[in-house]
Amino acid sequence: MAELAAVIGIGQTKYQTKRGDVSIAGLVREAAQNALIDAGLEWRDIDAVVIGKAPDMFEGVVMPETYLTDALGCNGKPMLRVHTAGSVGGSTALVAASHVQSGVFKRVLTVTFEKQSESNAMWALSNPHPFSPHLNAGAGGYFAPIIREYIRRSEAPYDAGIKVAVKDRKHALRNPLAHLQLPDISMEMVEQSPMLWEPLRFLESCPSSDGACALVIAAEDLATQAPKKPAWIRGGAMRSEPTMYAGREEVNPQAGRDCAKDVYSQAGVTDPRRDLDCAEVYVPFSWYEPMWLENLGFAPEGEGWKLTMEGATSLDEGGDIPWNCSGGVLSSNPIGASGMIRFAEAARQVRGDADDHQVEGAKLALGHAYGGGAQFYSMWIVGSEKP
Amino acid sequence: MSDPQTEVLSQAFELGFTYTRSTGPIVGRFLTGLRDRQIVGIRGSDGRVIVPPMEYDPVTAAALDEFVPVGQRGEVTTWSWVKYPREKHLLDHPFAWALIQLDGADIPMLHMVDAGDESVMKTGMKVEVRWADEPRGHISDIACFVPFVEEA
Repeated sequence: MAELAAVIGIGQTKYQTKRGDVSIAGLVREAAQNALIDAGLEWRDIDAVVIGKAPDMFEGVVMPETYLTDALGCNGKPMLRVHTAGSVGGSTALVAASHVQSGVFKRVLTVTFEKQSESNAMWALSNPHPFSPHLNAGAGGYFAPIIREYIRRSEAPYDAGIKVAVKDRKHALRNPLAHLQLPDISMEMVEQSPMLWEPLRFLESCPSSDGACALVIAAEDLATQAPKKPAWIRGGAMRSEPTMYAGREEVNPQAGRDCAKDVYSQAGVTDPRRDLDCAEVYVPFSWYEPMWLENLGFAPEGEGWKLTMEGATSLDEGGDIPWNCSGGVLSSNPIGASGMIRFAEAARQVRGDADDHQVEGAKLALGHAYGGGAQFYSMWIVGSEKP
Repeated sequence: MSDPQTEVLSQAFELGFTYTRSTGPIVGRFLTGLRDRQIVGIRGSDGRVIVPPMEYDPVTAAALDEFVPVGQRGEVTTWSWVKYPREKHLLDHPFAWALIQLDGADIPMLHMVDAGDESVMKTGMKVEVRWADEPRGHISDIACFVPFVEEA
């Protein structure tokens, strides 16, 4: 990348089931305004806006970006919409970063959102097709057999997913913005929750949330003048692959492995478990933690569940590589924003600004998102120091 | 080469979902005003009164909150005559789509003018609201606008 860029402002809404008090414009505005306040900036200081959300069919607002220009202060400025399904929050941040890294813009506002309470995400991502029966599977139904295959191959204990579900909800108790606040969460409570898509239980699945997340990304000279500590972007990568093709490795997708390799190489990471202090990884269903631990190279293939079971990814258990200290997607899921929340929470960690879910002394963190049929990947590594 | 005997299939396909919308406090105020047969606009940073109200200023991006009641009469700034209304149109006889700048507003809004005949329509003509019999917080509480002739 040509120019150095850093996150200088982060804004989020409180994630919750329903934000009936605001329009979609009001929701994105709240996150964007919070990011500007965090960066000590005004609307006029922004050169361009990059917006992302899940597919239009989710809320049924076609091209919402056209109606959100006023709310995001981008009348008379360039605006761009990014589309990469569930990974969109991550790829939107990367597109915004590249606006700055290219040297074309100095300060870019990027915003992502979902208003699931007014949407039909469950069925809009599982729509019927001509000449085929309608499977009505939803995301959980799509991923369940892949998880089953992971369990078979890795011989993971049956409760590794349950452990992740508890761990991330305990993390959420440290984050007042997290949607699910379940102080009584326990292995037993998760195990006894209804089986939705065998082997996935209700409490092993993400909630449906309303919310938005925004970042201000600035060029090096302006980032050093920002009122709060910047999170320096040390690497960013995206990869994609088809949903289906003969011989596709769905448990440990090639695009995810390639994307990780690329971002690690940019940031000088050779052993992610050792070199990174924490990670915010897109885990919408519990078993994706051990699966992504392997896909991202934190553990050898077939052994990701061991890190989960020994507490390596838990802040509460003093693990060496805490994952999803914010509570993760399992605790808050405004779909279009979920990837950007991962990127933002990684940045909060290296800014030392993560309050009760801070990993002490965090200097290097991974933000990760995936989307579609686990086919789109976006990742960045942010650091407390310039490269 | 494709086999000329192969039938190329096609199938009718319908896709539909149900949704909800929250208006937020600004558009919500406009719609609940209509229920009481009142029309409100909002004052922008440059002093212009915008009807229907917008949540954010188009110039400065500031959040707007100064509601301004506007008149129920106004002026047509441009129009298009619908000679053959279709089933989904709200009027069952010929009418005009028109931009109408209400008294006290600086931005015209889109609505319908029930003028009877195209020859009545003129840019600059005066119109006034015809309210629905039972307003319910919907843009169609303004059933349409009708020509208004000032008394001499």
